[in-house]
Amino acid sequence: MRKVLHVDYSLCIGCETCEGVCEFLHHGKPNIRVYYTVTGIPIPINCRHCEKAPCMEVCPAGAISRDHDGAIIINPNKCIGCMMCLAVCPFGVPTFDVKLKAMTKCDMCADRRELGMPPACSEMCPAEAIFFGKPEEAEEEIRRRTAEKIARERISSIPLEGVGRQL
Amino acid sequence: MGGMNFAFLCREKPKPTGKKVAIIGAGPAGLAAAGYLVCHGHEVHVYDKLPEPGGLMLFGIPEFRIPIYRVRDGCKNLENAFEVKFFPRTKVCFGNPNEDGDDFVEKRVEFEELVKNYDAVLIATGAWNAYLPNIPGSDLEGVFSALEYLFRIKSVKLGHMDWSEVPPIEGKKILVIGAGHTAVDAAIESVNLGAEKVYLSYRRTIREAPAGAYEIHLLQQRGVKWLERTMPVRIIGENGKVRAVELVKTKMSEPDETGRRRPIPIEGSNFQIDVDYVICAVGQMPTPPFAKETGIALDRKGRIVVDSRHMTSREGVFAAGDVVLGPSKVGKAVKDGLYTAESIHYWLMEVRE
Repeated sequence: MRKVLHVDYSLCIGCETCEGVCEFLHHGKPNIRVYYTVTGIPIPINCRHCEKAPCMEVCPAGAISRDHDGAIIINPNKCIGCMMCLAVCPFGVPTFDVKLKAMTKCDMCADRRELGMPPACSEMCPAEAIFFGKPEEAEEEIRRRTAEKIARERISSIPLEGVGRQL
Repeated sequence: MGGMNFAFLCREKPKPTGKKVAIIGAGPAGLAAAGYLVCHGHEVHVYDKLPEPGGLMLFGIPEFRIPIYRVRDGCKNLENAFEVKFFPRTKVCFGNPNEDGDDFVEKRVEFEELVKNYDAVLIATGAWNAYLPNIPGSDLEGVFSALEYLFRIKSVKLGHMDWSEVPPIEGKKILVIGAGHTAVDAAIESVNLGAEKVYLSYRRTIREAPAGAYEIHLLQQRGVKWLERTMPVRIIGENGKVRAVELVKTKMSEPDETGRRRPIPIEGSNFQIDVDYVICAVGQMPTPPFAKETGIALDRKGRIVVDSRHMTSREGVFAAGDVVLGPSKVGKAVKDGLYTAESIHYWLMEVRE
């Protein structure tokens, strides 16, 4: 079943929870990292698991494939460490792991998905800026969440408790 | 979507180990640690002096940044699915007197009691002690910390306070001191609450603003007057209440021995603006649940000192989050909470790395 892991940059508050949780799960090496632009905007960078993944197309070793959920996976046993995937990645995502002698990147928490658990970053993001699921479900949630954000900014002086539907 | 899944490491509660851990402070560090510990079979009790768990994520950071349900549902899940026991409105103390933020405290528990009754104790009480600048007039009515201000606004929105307990902002003039996230949030909330004029004073320039130039620009778009390179020298009162504030322009000093340029006041550049409130967001101090010597070492910034196992100078007492790191970020507290919980688990199960 095709799933997406979508990060909505407009909802990100730069708290770095995704990065912290990912680092904890990946022995000190997070696969999602928050970068601050010169204007001070936090942008989390991780693999977008592209539909037409340039890394998968360019890999000369055939080490990159898509799994049953649609996650783009690098096989460290096949990877020759040429960094072509990094060269063509629009987001600069793949990282050379010196110990592993292969490229690594976000695998949408493959071992967690095996057990039926969603990627940890999406579970823990306090701002609900990271969405995981079937594309149409994720998109629906993104729009719902964005609508809430717009409404909150506009009427944040009015207490929402007891007004309309409880969230 | 549901709440934050603090127990993201497991699908369901595993077999119990029979060990009991007390966590003091239900903020991001404490909740992340609770999630880890219940996923490893330990019984977890969380003590917090606020009326509900969530810490600064609920009682400090505005709702438009972190949705309330995201935190609330996350805590409910810990409680319902993982049997974490929460003790809200409960202050853990060493017989110390009242502090800021004790408004909701109904019960008190002695720290030593926890040490006696639990296999391990985790202190995750954050950094709630906000500085007020040491200038004449900072004791006037109408001078308060941004943290206190945001705390009261969120307490109303959470249903624990009434608007009468928040300073009336509508039609008032407000000066916010600082340019970090707390300052920005205090300024936005003031605009939202209908302030007539909001000023933001910062002693450096927009380029050094900790909240980032983007946030400052957004505020300016919303009508906030940005006063960079200024610092308050005194707050002027009338009948004990704030009437105006005197600011001085600053310039950057020559680099000192550490290579840092410090803002220094330009003599004779003083000016006054009329304001009704002065809201200070110039930094916070860690708030460990004790006042003085208790066998737990603090550093000179008031942070709890921990070793590589995240243990304090008392055996079996651990600490995590801002009370160790100093004021940081939700994510840094979550991460520290996770690593500390892992360490507590190893210590409890006598796993040697």
